[in-house]
Amino acid sequence: MNPKPPLPVPGLSRRSFLIGAGALGAGFALAGCAAPGGSASGVTEISFYVSKPEVIGYFDTLIAKFHKSQARVRVVRDSTSNMSADFVRNSPPDLGCWNYNFSVVEFVERGALSDLGDMPEAATINPDIKPLLKETADYPGRTSAIPYSLTAASVLYNKDLFTKYGVAVPTTYDDLVAACETFQKAGIAPFFNTYKDTWTIAQGLFDYTIGGMVDVPDFFKRLRAEGTKVDAASSVSFQKDFRSAMDRMVQLGSYANKNAASRGYGDGNLAFAKGEAAMYLQGPWALNEIAKTNAKMNVGTFPLPVTNDPKDLKVRVNVDLALWIPEASKKKEAARSFLSFLMQPEIQNTYNADNNAFGTTKNAPPTTNPALVGMQKYYDDAAFYLGASQIIPSEIPVANYAQSIALGSKPEPVLRQLDGDWSRLALRS
Amino acid sequence: MTLLDRNENDMAVVTSARTGAKKRTSHRRVDKTFYAFLLPGLVLFTLAITLPAVMGIFYSFTNSVGFGEFSFTGFINYIALFSDPSIRSAYGFTIGFALVTVAVVNAVAFLLAIGLTARIRAKVAMRAVFVLPMVVSGIVIAYAFNFLFSNSIPAAANALGFGPLESSLLANPNWAWVAIVIVTAWQAIPSTILIYIAGILAIPSDVYEAAALDGASAGRQLRSITVPLTAGYILINVIIGFKNFLNSYDIIVGLTNGGPGTSTTSIAMSIFQGFTNGDYAYQMANATIFFLIAIVIALLQLRTTRGRASL
Repeated sequence: MNPKPPLPVPGLSRRSFLIGAGALGAGFALAGCAAPGGSASGVTEISFYVSKPEVIGYFDTLIAKFHKSQARVRVVRDSTSNMSADFVRNSPPDLGCWNYNFSVVEFVERGALSDLGDMPEAATINPDIKPLLKETADYPGRTSAIPYSLTAASVLYNKDLFTKYGVAVPTTYDDLVAACETFQKAGIAPFFNTYKDTWTIAQGLFDYTIGGMVDVPDFFKRLRAEGTKVDAASSVSFQKDFRSAMDRMVQLGSYANKNAASRGYGDGNLAFAKGEAAMYLQGPWALNEIAKTNAKMNVGTFPLPVTNDPKDLKVRVNVDLALWIPEASKKKEAARSFLSFLMQPEIQNTYNADNNAFGTTKNAPPTTNPALVGMQKYYDDAAFYLGASQIIPSEIPVANYAQSIALGSKPEPVLRQLDGDWSRLALRS
Repeated sequence: MTLLDRNENDMAVVTSARTGAKKRTSHRRVDKTFYAFLLPGLVLFTLAITLPAVMGIFYSFTNSVGFGEFSFTGFINYIALFSDPSIRSAYGFTIGFALVTVAVVNAVAFLLAIGLTARIRAKVAMRAVFVLPMVVSGIVIAYAFNFLFSNSIPAAANALGFGPLESSLLANPNWAWVAIVIVTAWQAIPSTILIYIAGILAIPSDVYEAAALDGASAGRQLRSITVPLTAGYILINVIIGFKNFLNSYDIIVGLTNGGPGTSTTSIAMSIFQGFTNGDYAYQMANATIFFLIAIVIALLQLRTTRGRASL
């Protein structure tokens, strides 16, 4: 319960030392009990890691279905392990089903994930989606993961409030500001922001304003080429390229609920569901939470306009789940058979439809979810981008920096700090 | 062990005084059983503390992420560390926070201990109440206070029309640390009180009687008797407290998670982020520096407490 760093921390108290010693002893004892493998009866047991809390139960039913369809592979679901620690111990899960963002970068780039390029499933993937994986993390010559589910995030808006005040869905920044003014005059918070949870700012205002203005993949490509010296004088930098997006973030932040600084994600879902604000910068994962409060709520989605050219409209996507098999797995064949099972169109498409997500294959059907249809066009046109906060390596606390700006820091020193962090990271890695 | 050693030595001195000839041999010969007692602890300490520490120092000279391929990078991590403003600010915050908290905790605990050792009603029950926070886990305390700071206090301030507290203290980059000091102190004061109560009760009552006969006021008794005679306890509380507050982690995670921005990120938090963020080698370098600082403090502690009224 006490998340003390498991480190050689000096000044360790006698009590924590004893607890540690006890845990170590228990660990040895347990290791002695564990049976090696379980292949004696011709059944291979694989561990399957899925930690997305909303869908653990869903995958349990899929596992049960898989067990019914064949008898050679048994799947044991794991959703609590610490992934880094598992890799350090050289005992990662046989099949991972995980968010494909900065958290997998190290596993991919150090070659810890096996090549799945020869699987037929790899050939079915929508070519528009492949670059998203490559931008996040890549090991040359390998298909390290197969994308399973894509979530698209944009502005969630209260359709009834928009109708009531005669506001059309804005497609330009000026329209958006005008809409905010209208709501503010009516005494309704245009946006409900939740600055207490840093990730909500990073994936919301921060990523949306940048994605709507900056060519994100191109920016990071040029930034990586810059090497270990990124500052005001270099041809590309956070200070230069993110500056106008951050100014818009500050301006839009001024239209947020007054108590945004002390509100968290749960507060936001509740308030938006109660109709306390017209717009809410959250992804589809919030829809189920909102429905818990107000099941009949009329919610729509539109991409946040950050420029005055409707052609710039884009939605933020992330590869919410991707499947991968570690090099260290000793049961790759069995893991592959479960991967193929999960990738069957009727299973994968049902999963995505049930969980407010978009598919990843060439033949994925369009969404029928009324809250998501507003984004289908952008998905089809590949008018999407990965959030900048997901590409910036996790060593840099970018969500905290975004929170500083949201809470009133001037953007310049924060962006300068980002440049400095980026340079130092490039130097040491 | 020190107690045993001392007895051994005392005995040796006594025996040598009696029988001068046996002098050296007798106190050198230690029963092997003592080493057997030491062994399990030594093995566990080596496996769980020393070995990981040495490995951590080794990795601080690489670009490892904890697993997979890595290469040696020499002192690059240390060079990047010293030029990193977020690391510098973590040290600045942690040390400043530890100093303030030590002062607050000891001042409050000392006064409470005086109150709790005075002739008051329901003394035992009062002591129990004051010691209660000690048994609650830090993360639980932090989440409870998080709710108070984010919701209850702003609501109360709003109702009373008190401007400065209408927005959450935790969301203010300049003052969030105050909230952390308050909550940390709330948790740390009980154990400090216990040590002070022990110290104050150890002062013989005849000293106070003599002082009272000489006409010393209560204030004078506090200044000239209580404080000097508990000096050893004050020193121990200050050093132990300072060392604990330097390692602050759970309360900060539960209250601000290092924010707003990075204004309340402690050293322990930044080191731990090395595990979750793939910054393993870099934060190992940070941990190595932190380790050296802790050694200096430990040596200081050993020097200052030796010979004094040590517990």
